[in-house]
Amino acid sequence: MAVERDTADSGFGEVSRIKGIAFRYLSFGASVIGILALAALLVYVFVDAFDLANASPEWLLTYFLTLVAPFIGFCLYSAGDRELLGRTVLALGGGLLGTAVAFEAIELLVRPIPRLTWPVAYLFVVAVPVVGYVLFAGAQKPVGRTGFGLLGRPVGGATLGTAVAMLFIVFDMRLWFLVYTLGIFPAGLVRAYGGLRGAGRLAGLSVPIGVVGVVAAAFLRNVIRTYPTSPLIFAWTFGVPIAFAAATLVGSRGASRESAAAVGVVSLVAAGLGTTLGSSALPDGSTVLVLAATVAPTATYLHRTVESGEGLSGLALPVLLGGGALAGAAIVGAFGIPAPDPWLDPGFVTEAPSRNAVEAGLYPAIVGSVIIIAIVALLSFVLGVGAAVFLEEYTADTGIVGGITRIIQINIANLAAVPSVVYGLLGLGLFANLLGFGFGTAVTASLTLSLLILPITVISAQEAIRSVPNDLRQASYGMGATRWQTTKNVVLPEALPGILTGTILALGRAIGETAPLIMIGAATTVFSAPNDVWSRFSAMPMQIFAWSDFPQAEFRYGVVAAGVVTLLIVLLSMNATAIIIRNKMERGT
Amino acid sequence: MSQNDVPDTEAQTNAGGETRSDPDDSLVRTDVRATGSTGHGGSNETVVETRDLDVYYGDERAIDDVSMEIPEHQVTALIGPSGCGKSTFLRCVNRMNDLIDVARVEGTITLRGTDIYDSDVDPVALRRKVGMVFQKPNPFPKSIRDNVAYGLEVQGRDVTEDRIEESLRAAALWEEVKDQLDESGLALSGGQQQRLCIARAIAPDPEIVLMDEPTSALDPVAASKIEDLIDELVEDYTVVIVTHNMQQAARISDKTAVFLTGGELVEFDDTTTVFENPDDDRVEDYITGKFG
Repeated sequence: MAVERDTADSGFGEVSRIKGIAFRYLSFGASVIGILALAALLVYVFVDAFDLANASPEWLLTYFLTLVAPFIGFCLYSAGDRELLGRTVLALGGGLLGTAVAFEAIELLVRPIPRLTWPVAYLFVVAVPVVGYVLFAGAQKPVGRTGFGLLGRPVGGATLGTAVAMLFIVFDMRLWFLVYTLGIFPAGLVRAYGGLRGAGRLAGLSVPIGVVGVVAAAFLRNVIRTYPTSPLIFAWTFGVPIAFAAATLVGSRGASRESAAAVGVVSLVAAGLGTTLGSSALPDGSTVLVLAATVAPTATYLHRTVESGEGLSGLALPVLLGGGALAGAAIVGAFGIPAPDPWLDPGFVTEAPSRNAVEAGLYPAIVGSVIIIAIVALLSFVLGVGAAVFLEEYTADTGIVGGITRIIQINIANLAAVPSVVYGLLGLGLFANLLGFGFGTAVTASLTLSLLILPITVISAQEAIRSVPNDLRQASYGMGATRWQTTKNVVLPEALPGILTGTILALGRAIGETAPLIMIGAATTVFSAPNDVWSRFSAMPMQIFAWSDFPQAEFRYGVVAAGVVTLLIVLLSMNATAIIIRNKMERGT
Repeated sequence: MSQNDVPDTEAQTNAGGETRSDPDDSLVRTDVRATGSTGHGGSNETVVETRDLDVYYGDERAIDDVSMEIPEHQVTALIGPSGCGKSTFLRCVNRMNDLIDVARVEGTITLRGTDIYDSDVDPVALRRKVGMVFQKPNPFPKSIRDNVAYGLEVQGRDVTEDRIEESLRAAALWEEVKDQLDESGLALSGGQQQRLCIARAIAPDPEIVLMDEPTSALDPVAASKIEDLIDELVEDYTVVIVTHNMQQAARISDKTAVFLTGGELVEFDDTTTVFENPDDDRVEDYITGKFG
């Protein structure tokens, strides 16, 4: 450090850095304090949700050896860095000793640490960060990239497929069938044909065709009496297009006709398999969608990896993890090692709430939250972008109009600071009472939450639009583009990533809101998933809040923790999807 | 040019309108053109004419009573110190000043006899006839092909590969980018970007190309390429260029207009006259570097 060095004989004198160094460490402390607090909370929530407090050291050791150690080995193999290997072994070994000693010392000298044992503490304090670090290092190299890519596609596809399938619990599948068959499908055909023939005018026809089809679908919904079964609808509206898209994608990468067809057929067969499988919690036949969304991206990814031949050994990662999990389970079963009984199990996310803590499930609330978020995302995006475009692109900056615009701006900024309870009251008065959308219905909740986050989406969209360089607007106007053409072709594409960032943040807030839901009379607990947007529903935070009030300790610790973890997982997958879409768009420009 | 030519100009408007639809338009013009002082001929026919033009930003006057006639198929350079209103004048010609709320234009500007500030003139339609190249290269964050096609697309005309190639060739960029038409326009160097912007401006085949200091953000080599390009463009288009660089004005222009602080047009004449034998002492002082 500069201050420690003897600079007396350098002839330049000495510059004091003490203030700067103190400031630097204070800033560092400020940035980690929140993360540490959140990490401590997450540790406890995870320990409770997965009942790790009752995990025996043997159980932890078994899975560490069968699952964690091979995974670390894979990452290190991918990174191919001897120094990293040494550091990892040192951290794991030294951390084991350090955690054990420190943990016992605190228990002995200060006070017992509740619901934690030193192996669990080791898991969170040492193993998880080390795994995260080697994962990061491994993912930089081709082998790791391939492995994680292969792991990510089915997981992402299945998540997305499940989320979309969940929407059909509420939305009318037959209407969707008509909309797709009469509107989207012909419009897509016309557009593809126009693109193929290079006829821009023909492709332009696709929008009116689509609109006419959608309107016709709405009219015909009640006229037509017979419909295909739901698995067939899913196969026709999702299975076929997804398989076709996968085949087209493979074809566009310059692959042979045969391999493109093969990928398409594989996806189609997977979707076809889904028609024979039932699904317990989701709408009948939605397995088709989930399978197609899982298999198609996996197949295209496999094809690309095999074609490029880069990091092929990474393809072993799913086998490694699956085998490790099976081996662990076999060992635990064979030696009769006592296993923890997690609260967050498949039953928790597929079953209804219960008075019995072991049987309690979050399924209706998950469906409620997903439905609401889908509507809120759509509404707040459309309204937010619309308002932002108008305020930024269409209104004058000066004169009377400019003054009015400024007043609107200030009010929007103020609205962002209005407490959510007040929005709840607005929703209660306006949507539930005045417009008669009903108390505690999904529609009322969606509209209320949309209004709640609207100011945030408007402000962030405005920022994004404002950050589009004026040069580009000038260039567009200079070419004889109208304001609408400039907005559509230049401003919005350029601002979209920023707009999406703001919307993602705002949606994260909406999914966790409880106060406005209480105000509009949403149920804390419902025992079946909502079957249309007018039915009463419950959302995840409401249900978690209700459980936290139960007298039994199992609810207050185990079930609540499982609910929190589920909420976080849903939130994170939603954000991840949005971020992936945004990054794809950024790269596209 | 004298007042007597005005009816003549109007008659030419119709003729001009007809020849524009003729595919051999440019060939005819090239054949007919005589040699001029700096190599550009031109029919000396006025395309843009301003009468008593005043432009205000709020209460501040940016252009003071400017009357000038810009001849067809020639390069007209606008020079003068910073803040003298050259760019403002240029932006009046395609009504880009309409986009600035506080700007107010008085007097008349006619394009082939039609008052472009008339209430029934659509500024968007006007800008389709008057292309513009800006000081900073500003290609869209789209592919090179989409950049060139942009004008045709927004004007609802068919985008053909031929037209894209033709425009890029006219902007002397084709050889450098023909294999990367699908790559982003932002991936090009500054000089290439500016030529891309020129290709974009001429793709819809405007009548006039306005250039607002097109080389000021470029290095000398790239700038000289643009200068050569302007020399060729003037065969097909009327070019009005704002520049800070007096050597550039002397090199490439046929006519030079000198603006001085306050938005006053102090001299407008053939470039050789302005640089060698200016009427106004202030112009001589400016050109020889005594101020500005």
